[in-house]
Amino acid sequence: MKKLIELEVNGEVHELAVSPDETLLGALRDHLDLIGTKQGCDSGGCGCCTVQVDGKAVYSCMMYAVSVQGSEVTTIEGLARGPELDPLQQAFIDAGAVQCGYCTCGIIMAAKQLLDTVKDPSEDEIRHAIAGNLCRCTGYRKIIDAIQLAAAAA
Amino acid sequence: MSLPALSDYFIPEQQNELIELLQRFGENAMIVAGGTFVHGLEARGLLSEVEALIDIGKLGLNGIATGPSGVVLGATTTLADLKQADFIQNDPAFGAVKDALGYPPLQIRNVGTVGGCVAASVPLYDVPATLLVLDGTVHALGANGDREIALTDFFTGLFENALRTDEFITELRLPAQAAGTASAFLKLETNANDLAIINVAVRFTLDEAGLCRDSRIVIGGGIGESYVRAGSAESRLNGAKADADLFNAVSKAVATDIDPVTDHRGSAQYRRHMAVVYTHRALGRALERLS
Repeated sequence: MKKLIELEVNGEVHELAVSPDETLLGALRDHLDLIGTKQGCDSGGCGCCTVQVDGKAVYSCMMYAVSVQGSEVTTIEGLARGPELDPLQQAFIDAGAVQCGYCTCGIIMAAKQLLDTVKDPSEDEIRHAIAGNLCRCTGYRKIIDAIQLAAAAA
Repeated sequence: MSLPALSDYFIPEQQNELIELLQRFGENAMIVAGGTFVHGLEARGLLSEVEALIDIGKLGLNGIATGPSGVVLGATTTLADLKQADFIQNDPAFGAVKDALGYPPLQIRNVGTVGGCVAASVPLYDVPATLLVLDGTVHALGANGDREIALTDFFTGLFENALRTDEFITELRLPAQAAGTASAFLKLETNANDLAIINVAVRFTLDEAGLCRDSRIVIGGGIGESYVRAGSAESRLNGAKADADLFNAVSKAVATDIDPVTDHRGSAQYRRHMAVVYTHRALGRALERLS
């Protein structure tokens, strides 16, 4: 049995018919074609699927789409304003913080919550903020540099 | 569909409605709060018989209240909200909770709930070990009314607890802690998003003579079906002067109090050794909080 839900994603309200056990990740990728949010481990271990719900970073693979009704979801696609990238996105380019790129969107969405709440984060705070995200290319140094760059630019 | 028997996802807005759903679906109902535990089980194919997911996010069960008799934590209070609470940040008695909340990543803290991590009844979780050493109690509501269950009686096995099928957790309560009380928690893990290989929570009160009183040592992680209270270690701590020699003796006693498992993440011998090491460090950290 499908459930009809209203999902607000990146400022737009969508009406979707989802299975009751459809995850937010599934709703974003399979129903709305927002494939910037990645499917990784599918069990809350890698962070590739990180999005924001009401301004807080969450694993979208571990949330039921039905439960997110009435909340505001932001994905990586919702960060840029027209052609202008979010400072975090720009900083990842400038710092060369992308290798294969699979983890990048999730890390940016986790770092986004940090920069939204802490003005001048220490390296320790940055490391803790992205502790729930794995980069299997292991390029953490440049990722941390990028987040510091974005924090300085803000 | 990964839940083959699922018929519907319910979001009750009244507690009575929730109890009716729990009565209707019995063993085949699964309560969803933050959802992280539920998805963990689902990913492992352990929820094939679940017919109803029941989301308790709209019942207003979140919130933290402090008073002279202690602390009341609403069941759906998130770990992130608890972490920010003033008494968690500043009161040495609740240091163990602060320590435990430093481990889960942002994404888990933002949605994971206090009630959920207790209801899960898995000794691999961190926060329940700290609530155990603080003499926490579970408040449950069901068709026959509400009742209070000491956490020490609550965990009855792996994924098993004292809740009846029509009951749910409304609150966790922690009694007021005596002056001179401190607690600490440590976890051994392979990465920042790992379940505990071993974890240790300790609490004691220093009396005016500098002697330890009313101590609690709880070991979790891969130690069997449920948390283990290190009774012989606690009895060595009680009435003794807190110093390095005592902490050496107490932590060594933990080795005989536990019977850890061997699995791909660590041998029983390794877990036993690390439980001793971590107990020693946790005792030191708690003592430091009182200086």
